[in-house]
Amino acid sequence: MISPRAQLHPQQTRPLGSSDGGETPAPPPPSDPRITALRPLADGHRDIATSPVPPTKVDIRNINFFYGKSQALKNISLPLYDRRVTAFIGPSGCGKSTLLRILNRIYELYPGQSATGEVLLDGEDVLAPGLDLNRLRAKIGMVFQKPTPFPMTIRDNIAFGIRLYERLPQSELDERIESALRRAALWDEVKDKLRQSGLSLSGGQQQRLCIARAIAIEPEVLLLDEPASALDPISTQRIEELIAELKSDYCIAIVTHNMQQAARSSDYTAFLYLGELIEFDETERIFTHPKVRRTEDYITGRFG
Amino acid sequence: MATEAVAVSRTTAQRGVAAGVGDPIFRALTFAFALLVLLILGGVIISLVDGALPALRQFGFGFFVGTAWNPVTEHFGALAPIYGTLVTSAIAMLIGIPVAFGIALFITELSPVWLKRPLATMIELLAAIPSIIYGIWGLFVLAPFVQEYIEPPLINTMGNVPGIGLLFAGPPLGIGVLTAGFILAVMVLPFISSVMRDVFETVPAVLKESTYALGATTTEVAWGVVLPFTRIGVFGGILLGLGRALGETMAVTFVIGNSNHIQASILQPGTTISASLANEFTEAVGDLYLSSLIALGLILFMITFIVLAIAKLMLIELQRRAGG
Amino acid sequence: MELYARRRLVNIIVMTLSMAATAFGLVFLFLVLWTLLINGIGAISPALFAQNTPPPGSAGGLLNAIVGSLMMTAIATVIGTPTGILAGTFLAEYARGSWFGEVVRFVNDILLSAPSIIIGLFVYAVMVVRMGHFSAWAGAVALAIIVIPVVVRTTEDMLRLVPGALREAAVALGAPKWKMIVMVAYRAAMQGMLTGVLLAVARISGETAPLLFTALNNQFWSTDLNAPMANLPVVIFQFAMSPYADWQTLAWGGALLITAAILLLNISARMLAAWSSFRP
Repeated sequence: MISPRAQLHPQQTRPLGSSDGGETPAPPPPSDPRITALRPLADGHRDIATSPVPPTKVDIRNINFFYGKSQALKNISLPLYDRRVTAFIGPSGCGKSTLLRILNRIYELYPGQSATGEVLLDGEDVLAPGLDLNRLRAKIGMVFQKPTPFPMTIRDNIAFGIRLYERLPQSELDERIESALRRAALWDEVKDKLRQSGLSLSGGQQQRLCIARAIAIEPEVLLLDEPASALDPISTQRIEELIAELKSDYCIAIVTHNMQQAARSSDYTAFLYLGELIEFDETERIFTHPKVRRTEDYITGRFG
Repeated sequence: MATEAVAVSRTTAQRGVAAGVGDPIFRALTFAFALLVLLILGGVIISLVDGALPALRQFGFGFFVGTAWNPVTEHFGALAPIYGTLVTSAIAMLIGIPVAFGIALFITELSPVWLKRPLATMIELLAAIPSIIYGIWGLFVLAPFVQEYIEPPLINTMGNVPGIGLLFAGPPLGIGVLTAGFILAVMVLPFISSVMRDVFETVPAVLKESTYALGATTTEVAWGVVLPFTRIGVFGGILLGLGRALGETMAVTFVIGNSNHIQASILQPGTTISASLANEFTEAVGDLYLSSLIALGLILFMITFIVLAIAKLMLIELQRRAGG
Repeated sequence: MELYARRRLVNIIVMTLSMAATAFGLVFLFLVLWTLLINGIGAISPALFAQNTPPPGSAGGLLNAIVGSLMMTAIATVIGTPTGILAGTFLAEYARGSWFGEVVRFVNDILLSAPSIIIGLFVYAVMVVRMGHFSAWAGAVALAIIVIPVVVRTTEDMLRLVPGALREAAVALGAPKWKMIVMVAYRAAMQGMLTGVLLAVARISGETAPLLFTALNNQFWSTDLNAPMANLPVVIFQFAMSPYADWQTLAWGGALLITAAILLLNISARMLAAWSSFRP
């Protein structure tokens, strides 16, 4: 298996078919319908040949994670590029959510969970002891699998985060709230009912509210933990459209168990299995010419 | 639409996020009040023991088994009140637990949806009615009714059965241990039922549905799925009820007849610890008398404490057996 | 009997019994309330609210008792509610799994079920004896001690019910723990917590035993918190057990008042909860 590190820089990957112990398969013919179906739509963003390697926003290095004594993540290293979407995929229990939750240290709410390694956000190690966690979370926003609107008005949901950091006059606050809701593609639906409870919205709307809430505090990185898995297909589609729009402003990492979603929405994909990073590459490459047998098996549905 | 809004300004680096002074302060504050709870109990125990010591020293172990209660000769023994407390509570539990379970079962499983809330509310209102109301109702309404319509048939039927007939002997007075126990049951059943109902509703619908899908009857779902799932809560509810029954004062004081004699028949008057306290404390003259009453209070407290401790230990054991 | 038929029979029997049990409860509820109404309504008159408790054989009202009860209940609530909420917050937010938390929880449960007359004894020993006299303060403290465990318990239970994802969402935005608790968790648990407080208040409204040896009673008008204070429950106790008809009537009137107040509290609690809670 090619070491994950060698997969980090696409220009440096070895040509297909080179020997490395017999682990890599001959790539399946392009006409294989299972692969073609996963091929992402061609559009400007996906023109990999012309886009340069973007700057690394978050550099994940040698991460090991433990639930008590049991190790859940083994020596994970991969970059999250700015203004790109990186998808974490893998079967249940592979550690993709665990990895995501390390990035904003939300796991520290629970005793007994610990991580070693480094996560460099713009060069600064996020896992350093003594780091101000509240400041960290101002930079890294998170949206959870189940929509979690606060038991407040829609307006207050958004204002809550803003007020944690800034004291704004009413008019400016209102602008910020509107701006966040617009960027989350929710404004038109709620602009007349800002004073209603966040809980009165539908599931898809609630999730967009949570996204709006997260981006209202102007983070730089967005972590999305299976944001659409609790939603119906139409809401899912809207969320995916939203992610495509948000991408131009944030570094986005998304955990998904839905491979098609990963293929559609992301620029880079990391495939994890049993706590290890099996392969990391540009999405189009991973889904059309995966380098590792196990990746190919997962993508083609040989195991799930 | 992403760029339509106000340009996103990245000032996170410059934004001042106040260091968390709030956190340690808040934690200390909550800790202090949690500690206060401990101090209150400690205070209760200390003051009871302190007040009871003179009587206990005077009478020794005899206090617990003595049947005399004579303020004049200053001979005090706690057996009659203890006995009354235990018997009335036992009656209350015997009647109250099944009724409470029936109510909880009905509300959660049988009742049409539109009826659930009103029913639950009404049963909870039973708990809201204060003890003293039950007391005067018991004295003026229930006791005469029992005296006229319940006790005579009981005496004539059960009273003639050998053995347990002793439990139902004596002239029908209306007031007495049985009436007190009955009122306690009515008072206690909403507590038990309410807790049961709450925990029954925490059973995931999926669990029940899958059992129903197997063709189980409602009884079988209740017995085989709901109860095991909620047994800890149910047990807690029962003990809540028992604790209330043991310490209930006013309702019992009104209808138990306040007689300091132990009698086999539950149709006869008796007394409980709390009833004795309520009746006699403010008029107690003499240190030994006062101390004896406080000693009664100490005993009641100990009984309640032991009941709760046993319950908690059983709960821990149950949880251990269930594997978590 | 064939198995299926037997199962059905058992089910029918159990269901019938449970219906009977519910009827049992409802019957007694209405019986008590009806009796209260019948006997108490005769005592309701302007005089009830205008005059103080009379000696036997003369006309009077319950004014001093009503006011006394209101004052002591209010003080007890003010003392007991924040105490209970904060202690319950500690248990739910800072003490999960710790032995100290287990001990506090255990002790709290004991206080919750402790006979209220014992609380009265305790406050008697600690306050009445020390102060040398009965007082409304002592009565209020005794009532507060009854409020605290109820509020602790409901606060802890309700806070624990707040989903972890909701807390994580607040923390992920950068909220410090105390803000997450106060601004998000409390709000999510508000309905339950409030109900707990109101239940506690309703409970102490009718409590007699703890007042028997703390606030005692007062035949006359007095708002002196340092002296024995008249209160409805003890007055009812005294008047109802007496052989005097006019006292008994007043007792029923007082009983009706207390019950009406408690029912009003309960209904208000429910209406408030329904109005302010946001149900999806």
